[in-house]
Amino acid sequence: MEIFILAFFALGYLVLGGADIGVGMALPYLGRTATERREVIAAIAPFFLGNEVWLVATAGVLAGLFPELEGELLSGNHTLVVVLVLAWAVRDMGLWLRGREPGARWQAFWDGAIVAGSWGLALSWGALLSHVLVGIQGPFAVLPAAVVAALFATHGLAFAALRLRGTLRERAAVLSGGAGEARTYALTAAVLLAVGVLAGLRLPLHPGTSGSVLVPLILTLMPLLAAAQAWVWWMFRHRVTGPSYL
Amino acid sequence: MDTVDLARLQFALTAGAHFLFVALTLGLATLVAAIQTRATFSRDPVHLRMTRFWGQLYIINYAMGIATGLVMEFQLGLSWSGLTEYAGNVFGSALAIETLVAFFVESTFLGLWIFGWDRLNRWVHLALIWVVTLTAYASAFWIMVANGFLQQPAGHVVDGGVLRLVDFGALVANPAAQIAFGHVMGGAMITGGFFVAGVSAYHLRKRTAEQDFFRKSLRIGVWVALPATFFTVTFGGLGFQTLQPTKAAAWSDDAARMAAAQAEMVAAHGPGDYLPPVGPVLAAGITMMVLWLVMTVVAGLSCLLVLFRPVVRRFRLWHWLLTLMIPVPFVTMLAGWMFREMGRQPWAVYGLLKTADAMSPVSAGQMRLSLIAFTTVYAVLIVVNYRLLARQARRGPEATSLGAPAVPALSF
Repeated sequence: MEIFILAFFALGYLVLGGADIGVGMALPYLGRTATERREVIAAIAPFFLGNEVWLVATAGVLAGLFPELEGELLSGNHTLVVVLVLAWAVRDMGLWLRGREPGARWQAFWDGAIVAGSWGLALSWGALLSHVLVGIQGPFAVLPAAVVAALFATHGLAFAALRLRGTLRERAAVLSGGAGEARTYALTAAVLLAVGVLAGLRLPLHPGTSGSVLVPLILTLMPLLAAAQAWVWWMFRHRVTGPSYL
Repeated sequence: MDTVDLARLQFALTAGAHFLFVALTLGLATLVAAIQTRATFSRDPVHLRMTRFWGQLYIINYAMGIATGLVMEFQLGLSWSGLTEYAGNVFGSALAIETLVAFFVESTFLGLWIFGWDRLNRWVHLALIWVVTLTAYASAFWIMVANGFLQQPAGHVVDGGVLRLVDFGALVANPAAQIAFGHVMGGAMITGGFFVAGVSAYHLRKRTAEQDFFRKSLRIGVWVALPATFFTVTFGGLGFQTLQPTKAAAWSDDAARMAAAQAEMVAAHGPGDYLPPVGPVLAAGITMMVLWLVMTVVAGLSCLLVLFRPVVRRFRLWHWLLTLMIPVPFVTMLAGWMFREMGRQPWAVYGLLKTADAMSPVSAGQMRLSLIAFTTVYAVLIVVNYRLLARQARRGPEATSLGAPAVPALSF
């Protein structure tokens, strides 16, 4: 059961968080002007706060149910995890701060932070996953890391195609070709899930000893958490029609 | 500096910086929720605008606070894997519950509150901010359960060289956690109260056209701050009964008591230096108490002055004083944390695991890299947060974009 709980949150993060990371990576491609970029951001704005909590929850589940693995995984990939967390923080700052001041330079700077942070996140995820999956580190890890990053970007484009309209939607659909937008998203999501599951199978998943207390509690909570998230998805299910608060 | 000092410095800087955001978030969320409740019942435009203005400042601070919190969550596994391996089965439970019960819900619902403005039924929208506020409290509660365990371990047994959770109730009911939670919540309310009062006083000093808006805000601020000082000191006083013997001895600054505490620890744990650094513990404790007194006097005086409308409009020296008071609760809280955490040394888990043994097997170079990287990002975050809050606060209610109907901001 512990493994199911960990998988639920980690895989949820890869699919949901992966989409908004990918949109951030593709921001310069999707949005050519400041107005366009703001509209692209509106595609993920109501979601990214609710998406990143899946990773926070994953780390919490690791701390509570797999404390030994938590220490091994994080301290064993010290520099990589530091880069990942920093990229995450930089990206979040960009998203929150870009709209706070009216200046063009201010917005361009924080748009840059969103793009750099998204790439940093995707690449460090790629490096981390490929370290776990195929056990390579160092310069050669760049290749599998780039593959995973490209996967995030494709997934982001697929999500953007579902959320945007007009020219922006056409740009986002560049890779899906004749296939339906929803089907492309389902495909990229499935590949991300597969990568996540394979990486999980390579991890030493030996639960700690507090499962008897935590597992029933978390299992009870999970439907409620999923319902809260579903409410957000339902509320913002329509295509973006203009800029958002960010 | 050796690796453990670097790791401790990194934890002190990041945890301290994170807490600056946390304190204001907890305090402001409560005030925003209370104001929005008033606005929802009364439909008074002043209260509606107050909700948006203070809500905007709350969101700026919350968003920057998340970024600092992310680092905190990962730092335990990064730098202190000795602690997670030894005690993770007990105190990791509290952290897991914090992320799932509290933070997950808090963030999801905050997104709905921000982006669902004017799209949701107003009672549902009001319910959202209360869920956000209550889950923020829950978050603080479970973090204090984790911290309380490190201060005074409870609910565990040692099994196969690591700790195992045997009594969840004892872990949660730990007085070192419960009392500290009350103390921290009181401190957060003081912080929120002085923040709202200080910003309002700034506008009143500038002879704002928004007299009604800021007079009401000022009143809320000081009326929250004064009871909060009494609440905080009550729990602080109770907290002294849960002090570890070595911390209590250091605080007494009595050589005989310190020698006795040291001898007792040597008898139980073998040779070593078991006293915390006396100078810093004393300095931090005294700073906390003196500043508490200052805040209580200013809040008490302000509660009287706020009753007289001409005074509220014209007493500029008082306006100055209140604005200058904004940073004081933050400094007080940091001093309080230094008193609590330095007083626990040399232990990571009191009586069970020494700080030096809680480290990850990482090199000094790796530690230095993360220390520099995290400190840089935190410094940027604090400066940006401070400047944005100051600028937004100075601009006043007219410039608020949160929930603004004129801007197509919230249409999707």
